[in-house]
Amino acid sequence: MLAYILRRVFQSALVLLVVGLVAFSMFRFVGDPVDNMLGQERTQADIERLRDTLGLDDPFPVQYWNFLGNAVQGNFGVSYRQGRPVSEILIERAPATLELAAVSGVLALTFGIGLGVFTAIRRDGFAANAIMTLSLVGVSLPTFLIGILLIYLFSVELGWLPSFGRGEVVQFGGWSTGFLTESGLKALILPSITLGLYQMTLIMRLVRSEMLEVLRTDYIRFARARGLSERAVNFRHALKNTMVPVITVTGLQLGSIIAFAIITETVFQWPGVGLLFINAIQFVDIPVMAAYLMLISVMFVGINLIVDLLYVMIDPRLRGDPAKGH
Amino acid sequence: MKPHHIAAAFPLLFATAAQSAEFTWASTTDPQTMDPHAVNSTPVLGFLNNVYEGLVRRGKDMGLEPSLASRWEPMDGGAGWRFHLREGVRFHDGAEFTAEDVLFSWRRASSTDSDTASWFAPVADMRAPDPYTVEILTTAPNPIFPDSIANWMIMDSGWAAANGAETPAKDGETFATLNANGTGPFRLTERQPGLRSVLEPNTDWWEQADHNLTRATFTPIQNPATAVAALLSGDIDMINPVPIQDAARLEQSPGVRLIRGTETRVIMLGFDQSSEQLLSGDGANPFRDVRVRRAVAMAVNVSAILQTIMRGSAEPAAQLVPDGIRGHSALYAARPPFDPAAARALLGEAGYPDGFAFDLKCPNDRYLNDASVCQAVVSMLAQIGLTATLDAMPVRNYWPELRADNFDMYLLGWSPGTFDAEHPLRFLAHTPTDTLGTWNFGGYSNARIDALLPQIQSEIDETTRQAMLDETAKILQDEVAYVPLYVQPLLWGARDGVELTQRPDDFFMLRWVRVDD
Repeated sequence: MLAYILRRVFQSALVLLVVGLVAFSMFRFVGDPVDNMLGQERTQADIERLRDTLGLDDPFPVQYWNFLGNAVQGNFGVSYRQGRPVSEILIERAPATLELAAVSGVLALTFGIGLGVFTAIRRDGFAANAIMTLSLVGVSLPTFLIGILLIYLFSVELGWLPSFGRGEVVQFGGWSTGFLTESGLKALILPSITLGLYQMTLIMRLVRSEMLEVLRTDYIRFARARGLSERAVNFRHALKNTMVPVITVTGLQLGSIIAFAIITETVFQWPGVGLLFINAIQFVDIPVMAAYLMLISVMFVGINLIVDLLYVMIDPRLRGDPAKGH
Repeated sequence: MKPHHIAAAFPLLFATAAQSAEFTWASTTDPQTMDPHAVNSTPVLGFLNNVYEGLVRRGKDMGLEPSLASRWEPMDGGAGWRFHLREGVRFHDGAEFTAEDVLFSWRRASSTDSDTASWFAPVADMRAPDPYTVEILTTAPNPIFPDSIANWMIMDSGWAAANGAETPAKDGETFATLNANGTGPFRLTERQPGLRSVLEPNTDWWEQADHNLTRATFTPIQNPATAVAALLSGDIDMINPVPIQDAARLEQSPGVRLIRGTETRVIMLGFDQSSEQLLSGDGANPFRDVRVRRAVAMAVNVSAILQTIMRGSAEPAAQLVPDGIRGHSALYAARPPFDPAAARALLGEAGYPDGFAFDLKCPNDRYLNDASVCQAVVSMLAQIGLTATLDAMPVRNYWPELRADNFDMYLLGWSPGTFDAEHPLRFLAHTPTDTLGTWNFGGYSNARIDALLPQIQSEIDETTRQAMLDETAKILQDEVAYVPLYVQPLLWGARDGVELTQRPDDFFMLRWVRVDD
C-alpha cells in the first residue's frame, strides 16, 4: 500500500516537471516581452540590457532551472507587466476564481442531478424531452457565445444583472468575498451559469443514463414488488447507486471548471486567475504564465492522485500485493 | 401629495444629484503602473495625466499651455530654456511644489531604470537659481524642447525619498507602482491592478476645475463586446475604444453616442530597402528600385480601404505625420493617385512586367483592423501582378520578426510623441544607427535627410525650420521611403449626458468631463 502511494506520488512529481519543461520550451513562441516593457523611444542597447536582466537569452532549460530553483523556495518571480511579485498577484486573484468555480460547481451538481433524475423517471414526458433537447445547447454552444448572449439578454435588454465584474467585495484578511453583498451575489449569477452550464448538462446526462440503467435492475423491481413508495425506490435505492460514477466525474470536472474559467472570466471581465493568465499571454508575462501553468498542473495532478488513492481504498483488488494472489 | 412626503423626498433628491457626478469609464488596457517615469505608454501616461502634472501641458487642441510652469522663455544664445514655476502649488499630500522637485523628477525620469530617458537626451544640465525658477541647458539650441516634455510629470522629492521610490523600477515594484502623489486635478484613492482605480477630485488644485465629478472609477474591460454591452446597459459611462464593427450600431442605439476623431497615428507600408535579395532568396530585391515602390503606392486604393474596412472613420495620409501636427508640410499633402495602369507601366519599366512574389508581414492585434487592411493590400497588389504572401501575427511576435529582418514589406503605425514632424524623421527616416533610425526596419537611407535632421532639431527660426521639413517631406515622397496610407481613427463611446473632450493623443482628461442628468 505504502509502496503504491509512493510510486504514485513520484509519478505525479515527474508529470509536473515535464509539464514545466514543455511550458518553458513554448514561451519563446509566445513572443518577446521586451517590446511591451519598453516604450517607442527605446534603443537597441535598451533592448539588449533588458533581455540580459531578465535572462531571456538563456536557453530554455536554464530558464526553467532558475524558475524551479526559485519556485521551491516559494518565489515565483516578479510580473513583467505589473512589476509585483507573482505569488502576491495570484493570491489576490485566486478568491475570485475559486468562488466562481464553487458556485458553478454547486449549480451544476444541484441542477444536473435534479434534472437527471427527473428526465430518467419521466423519460417519455414532454418536459423531460424538452430538457434533453435544450441540454444539447449547453453541450454544443461555445462558452464565449453563451456568456455574450446572457449579457445581452439580462444586462442590456432587461437590465437586471451587471454586465461585467465582481460587484462589491468584502475583505477578510487575504480573502475577498463577493458572497456578502447584494451586488457581489448578483454579479455571480451570469458567470456561474455560463461556466457551469457544460458541466451541468454533462452531469445531467450521466445521471439520467445511470439512473435508467439502475431502474432496470432486479433489486429495483423487487423493491417495487415489496410495495415501497415510488419516492423511496427512486431516491433511496436508485439514485444512491448511480452516485459512484457521478462523484468520480464531478471530482475531475472540478479541476476543469477552475482551469476553463479563463473564457468565462474574459467575457465577464471577472478578476480571477484566468483573466490574469490571458493578460499574461498578451503581454508575454513569462513569470505569471509559468506560475499559473504550474499551479493548474499541480491541481490536476493532485486531484488525479487523490482519485487514484480513493480507488485503492474503495476497490480492494488494487490494494493487495500481486505476488500473494487472492 | 401630503406635505411630509415632499419633505422626505428632498434629501433623496440631493442624494441622487450627488451620485450622478460619479463617473465610470473603461478601456481595454489597464495602466501597468502608477509610476509616471517607469513606462512610456499611452495607457499609463494618459491615466496619470489626471493625477500628475508637468511643467507644461496640452490643451483641448493639443496646443502647449502653462501648467506647473506659469511661463517659460528660451535662454540667451539658445543655451536652453528657463521655466518660471507656479507658486503656492501643493502636492496631494500637502507638500509644497518647488524647483527641487523638478530637479529630482529630471534625475528620476532620465535614470537608466526609466523608460522616459530619451526625452532628456538633449539636456546637458538642469539648475535652479531660486526655488521658483528652473534653467534647462541643452547641448544644442532646441526649439521644440518644451513640446517634448508635456508628459514629463513632476513627483515630490520628499514623498519619493520617504517611501523609498527615488528611482523607477522597470521589472520590480516600488511604492510609486501602486501609489501616486501628484499636483493634478485628481487624487488616486484606490488602486487595484487589473481591477479598478479610483480617482477623487483634488480640492486644493491650483486651477478652477471645469469638471463636476465627485468620483471617477476606471475599470479595464479587455473584451470589446463586453465593454460595448456594459456601455449599453448603463454599467459604464464611457468606453475607449469602440470596435469599428460596433460603431454603426452604437450610433443607432438610444441613450449612447459615438465620439469620432482621428488619432495622430499614421498607418503606412514599409519596404526592405537594404537587403540584396528577397526573403525567399529568388532574385534581387525589387524594392530597392524607387519605381517599384512608387508602383506599390499607386496600386493601393486607400479610399476603398477607408470606406470598407474603416467604415468611413479614417482620413487618408500622404506624409509620416498627419495634418495638424507641427511641421506637417502643406506643400506635399497629396497622395500619389490611385492608378493601377500607371503602376503596371512602372513595374514594366523597372524590369518586372510580370510582377514578382514577396512576403508581407503584418500585425493582427496592434492597429485597428490591421490584418484586414493587409488582406486588402494583398488583393490590390495582385491587380498589378504582385503576389504578396501575407503573414499576419500578434504584435508580441511581430516586432521580433521585424528586428530580425524577416520581411520584404511590412505594416507600421507611427504616432509622433512630441507632436512634431521631426519625431518620425528621427525614428523612421534617418539611416539606422545605435540611437537614430531605431524603427527604420527597412533600412531606408538618404544622406540629405541625415544631414537635415540635426539642423531641424536645432533651428530656432520657424520659417527656415519649416522649409527644411518641407524638403524632407518632398524627399520621402519622391523616394517613396514609405507608403503612408491613412490616419488611424479614434472611436469612443459615451452615454448621453456625458460631456467630454477627445484629444488626438487618445488621452482621456477627466478635468474636461461634465456629467449631467
